[in-house]
Amino acid sequence: MALIERPAPALIPAVATPSSSYGVFRRPVETTGWKSWVFTIDHKKLGIMYGVAALFFFLVGGVEALLIRAQLAGPNGTILSADKYNQMFTMHATTMVFLFVMPMAAAFGNYFLPLQIGARDVAFPRINAFGFWCFLFGAIFINTSWFLGGAADGGWFMYAPNSSVPFSPTNGIDFWGVGLQITGIASLTGAINLIVTVLNMRAPGMSLMKMPIFTWMILVVQFLLLFAIPVITVALFLLMFQRSFGATFFSVEAGADPLLWQHLFWIFGHPEVYILILPSFGIVSEVLPVFSKKPLFGYPLVVFSGCAIGFVGWGVWAHHMFASGLGPISVAVFSVSTMAIALPTGVKIVNWTLTMWGGKIRFTTAMLFAIGLIVQFTIGGLSGVTHAVAPSDTQQTDTYYIVAHFHYVLFGGAVLGIFSGLYYWWPKIFGKLLSERLGKWNFWLMVVGMNMTFGPMHILGLQGQPRRMYVWTENRAGDGFFDLGFWNLISSIGAAVLGIGVLLFFINVFISRKHAPAPLDPWDARSLEWMTTNPPKEHNFDQVPTVHHLDEFFHRKYEDRGTEDHHDYHQIATAEEIMADQEANADKHIHLPSPSYWPIVLAFSLPVMGYGVIFNKFMIPVGATLLLLSMFGWSMEPHTASEADYDPPTPEGGAELEVVSHG
Amino acid sequence: MSNSTSLVPKVLTSSMPDVNPRTRRVKRGLFAVASVLALSACAQNAPQDTWKPKGENAQKIQDLQWWVFLIAGIVGVLVFGAVLYCVIKYRDKGQPIPEQTHGKAWLEYAFIAGPALLLTFVAVPTITTVIDLNKTDDATCFINVTGQQWWWEFDYPVAADGTICGYAPTGDALPIVTSGQMVIPADTKVVIRGTSRDVIHSFWVPALNGKRDMVPGRVHTWRFHANEPGIFAGQCAEFCGLSHANMRMEIVALSPADFTTWLDGQLAPYQAPEADTLAATGEATFIAQCSRCHQVDGMTDADGEPVIAAPEQFVWSGAAPNLSHLMSRNTFAGGTWDLLTEDCRADVWGASPDEFGAKYLAGVSDECLNEIDLKEWLRDAPSKKPMFADPEELTETDGKTRGMPYLALSEDQINELVAYLETRK
Amino acid sequence: MADTAVHDDQVGHDDHDDHDHGHDDHGHTSTGLSHNKLGMWLFLGSECLLFGGLISTYMLYRGRHSENLGPDQVWDIPFTSASSFVLLMSSLTMVLAVSSAKRGDDRNTKTWLSVTALLGSLFVAGQVYEFTTFHAEGLGFGTSLFSSSFFALTGFHGVHVSVGIIMLLAVTGMVAKNRIPGDKAEVVELVGLYWHFVDIVWILIFTLVYLIPA
Repeated sequence: MALIERPAPALIPAVATPSSSYGVFRRPVETTGWKSWVFTIDHKKLGIMYGVAALFFFLVGGVEALLIRAQLAGPNGTILSADKYNQMFTMHATTMVFLFVMPMAAAFGNYFLPLQIGARDVAFPRINAFGFWCFLFGAIFINTSWFLGGAADGGWFMYAPNSSVPFSPTNGIDFWGVGLQITGIASLTGAINLIVTVLNMRAPGMSLMKMPIFTWMILVVQFLLLFAIPVITVALFLLMFQRSFGATFFSVEAGADPLLWQHLFWIFGHPEVYILILPSFGIVSEVLPVFSKKPLFGYPLVVFSGCAIGFVGWGVWAHHMFASGLGPISVAVFSVSTMAIALPTGVKIVNWTLTMWGGKIRFTTAMLFAIGLIVQFTIGGLSGVTHAVAPSDTQQTDTYYIVAHFHYVLFGGAVLGIFSGLYYWWPKIFGKLLSERLGKWNFWLMVVGMNMTFGPMHILGLQGQPRRMYVWTENRAGDGFFDLGFWNLISSIGAAVLGIGVLLFFINVFISRKHAPAPLDPWDARSLEWMTTNPPKEHNFDQVPTVHHLDEFFHRKYEDRGTEDHHDYHQIATAEEIMADQEANADKHIHLPSPSYWPIVLAFSLPVMGYGVIFNKFMIPVGATLLLLSMFGWSMEPHTASEADYDPPTPEGGAELEVVSHG
Repeated sequence: MSNSTSLVPKVLTSSMPDVNPRTRRVKRGLFAVASVLALSACAQNAPQDTWKPKGENAQKIQDLQWWVFLIAGIVGVLVFGAVLYCVIKYRDKGQPIPEQTHGKAWLEYAFIAGPALLLTFVAVPTITTVIDLNKTDDATCFINVTGQQWWWEFDYPVAADGTICGYAPTGDALPIVTSGQMVIPADTKVVIRGTSRDVIHSFWVPALNGKRDMVPGRVHTWRFHANEPGIFAGQCAEFCGLSHANMRMEIVALSPADFTTWLDGQLAPYQAPEADTLAATGEATFIAQCSRCHQVDGMTDADGEPVIAAPEQFVWSGAAPNLSHLMSRNTFAGGTWDLLTEDCRADVWGASPDEFGAKYLAGVSDECLNEIDLKEWLRDAPSKKPMFADPEELTETDGKTRGMPYLALSEDQINELVAYLETRK
Repeated sequence: MADTAVHDDQVGHDDHDDHDHGHDDHGHTSTGLSHNKLGMWLFLGSECLLFGGLISTYMLYRGRHSENLGPDQVWDIPFTSASSFVLLMSSLTMVLAVSSAKRGDDRNTKTWLSVTALLGSLFVAGQVYEFTTFHAEGLGFGTSLFSSSFFALTGFHGVHVSVGIIMLLAVTGMVAKNRIPGDKAEVVELVGLYWHFVDIVWILIFTLVYLIPA
């Protein structure tokens, strides 16, 4: 049962009846079929598309990782050439960072942020759609380089001058640089959109300190993106000017300073690390309380520590450059600031643990992934402290010890958090529970796999194996059974285990399509996104809830009938009852924006210009024209379709609300 | 309660192994045993082990880091212990819904203050060590280091007082240019002044110090000191393109007497091979094929004119290794392959500090020469070590190669060249 | 944020009001700022770092040029001062446009928007002239680090001004045809925000690039 978002005629401003003003096209109004996806501006559909694309690129990046580990399983590997290997690790990192974890956070953010704050959509739905298409086209653009002369081969950090044409004459780096600018637009527009959504569209009563912690973390991430993306944009523009337009920003022979790139890259790159990890922190901060049946311990402090990470994250970038010759004073300062950022991060670990302390813990797959994150991320965090100590870092940087560190942080942190979120929210998004049994296999294989893969890398690194080497040789591998060859082999086997673990997730998804519909509130959850149907209706809530508590949903279901010292919680309402109450008091005149052609058309103009930069400069004005035309069409288009666009049109004076069944 | 809660027991009683505290405890135990095993059973004698300092700079790092690792380890165990405790103690056994509290502020502050104090203890010695490791004013030996794709060049300037690296050679002091292996006097404070001719490289010999990037257009200094004579493995640690994996070097420390001997050897005048030997033919082949890029000091052509290499015309970085005394070092091609056969190499690398100098200074004898790799290299260098030398792909580099190209040498020419190179002691 | 109070009086007539549209720009919001205005402020915040990066690059490289093609040789300060003055004046006319729009005075709004666009165009024309002159003197994009970073910085700014002009003209046209959905004054104000930002950036660039000696 749902109310469809047919606009109430009275709401269309009288001055703007522009059904003819954007030319010959009828506006898309489809609610089913491929058009309902391609032209959608619904935050939930966009969230799903972000997720599907991100998981696809997760597989792509995973295959790249498996090839890397296959190459390094034994000495003098021959599976990949040096050239292909360099492309492989560059694209593995690029794919995982920009095309998997970031869009995955965008997927969860898009889908759940409006639901968590009790909003009907995001602030700028069309810009939201535009962002998604920018991401997708940018991602495809980067990956077409595989078929057009080879992918980027300079590492994801793309240090100058190794990124200049004489050192990398294929177009790979051009694809990389232009493609990331396009996906950068997605991040920037997404950031503005979600910040405005959070600041402006919270349900009545939801003050900032009553906001779900996931929403808080996404908000911090959007601010990080807002200020980090322009910095990498500058760097990427300089790189593009250098490679394609004859500028000399990184030409040492012209007097350039290669450290300029490093500073620009890491001023972006370190906040980027928190951009990757904070969404997952937010997810487990939702999951742990639900399955411990306790509120998040120290909620205000978790919020403040998230913000603190957001601020201090800007002051630590040079710890990526301890070996690059900054001078002892800078090194000492950044060393101390890097240690300082361990504090707010530690606060989170402590608070998660104390959330479980005294709880009533249920070991669902989502919870296992969340606990897995605490343990695995702690390992990564502690190894991080060891290289905040700059002198130790000069031994560890650019070795496998660092590879181990950031995989514990990013796989053990970001990815386990994402999987926790997938298992937790799957019934909300698709109305089907994933199998817990398969889920547990999924979890344990992934955790065992990741520890087998990345654990030995600590040893490899501390015993002197540098990163980014397409082969390792026996004469630097030491003696004895447990030589570096042994650990390399274990790591490669672990990668296979990890791969099987990830595969189980997709099998689980495939099987779940036949499951019975999930219960309305399968986890006895606490926050607003569960106070609607599974999956949510297009307008999210029949009645926008008024919020009185953090964990509003929990407090609507339970009541404390105990005393100050002895608490005694009783269930006073089921989820079904709460939902029925909402439906009974449904808001009228629900008025959602209509689908639009322009976001995808506008986004499409960007790769056209991108190919122009690389292959034929005449394509740039073609793309630019398309860009301007679609911007014009966009600005002429009202938020909602005119009645004439519906087929058949609503009869004059007909029902304002139409009730249809909604799958 | 609604149907939502009925799902919970199903989950709890699921047959998956994690929920049973006993199996979980066993698992933890195994994990602990495994980690101890892992740490104690690491590779022996890994030449680039960062935890086996052999000089005072690396020792300073070691003194600083072992207890940071210890603290990290203890904190880790505490966190895992707490998580484990929660997981066992507070699993859902049907207890009532716990108090819906956000916790106590004082506990929060304690958990911030504690780590903050701990980090202060780490931060202070970190700062002093950073400053210590960046000193340059107490060195007695200076060596210039230049990285390029994909090898290291070392040149030893002559100081105003006629010494090289603090030692006076027997004859006239002239600058020495060598590559692959940096020879230093043992127990001496050495400062390298490093840069690069193309992309960023990083100089790293873990037994003696951490790494320092060598950046084109900048000169970076870095300290080295070796307690005793010996050979210490290192490797370029900053990704530098195609053959980054094949860019290695060693630091060789010699006793003062041995170091002077080494200086004399490097400064010995050119000795042409005896006429009518294979090596003499090799000299002519070398002049025809190799001397475009590779300098051999003092070599003259058939007319008696000095042969001067001009690598800047052929190589993008503008330099190629100086081969005057190739056989005095024991690796080639960016330190990636040994000039010594396996047994001879083991003899030198495994020598005690007392015996090391003599064995190293013996150089590569005829019976110890690893002809296989050297010939393979001469036959087709780019297929042995990935380099950017395909003539069809050089438009972006003005026809210059990065690394050594394929030279289409015949087997005879290769034999001649090997014979000639063997005489470059 | 005083959002609770705002909501409390909304709660009563939840059922028969249209306050909760996902996209409604002129409905009430938690901050009291419209989505568009808040979004514009955030965008401009982001732009600060874009120009920050470009300005830093220029400051690093401004001394790295060939002997006779440095800032001291190529600048024509009186000319650039004049075009800077033109751009500054356009901020004034923009203010007039915004205040006309707020009064609902369409005629004056159109006039002042057009004048602003004209002044902006003059500035861009001046920049094109300046670039052409520099190029004729031998200062190309790839000539030196100084020229690369100078052209990148001022070029980016020029593109921003040009985008502003397009926006001004589009809004002028839309005002003329009464095509602006929603709050007309706010649309003009948003363009004004952007325009003032671009002006302020120019003041910074003019000072750092042209006035402070290298």
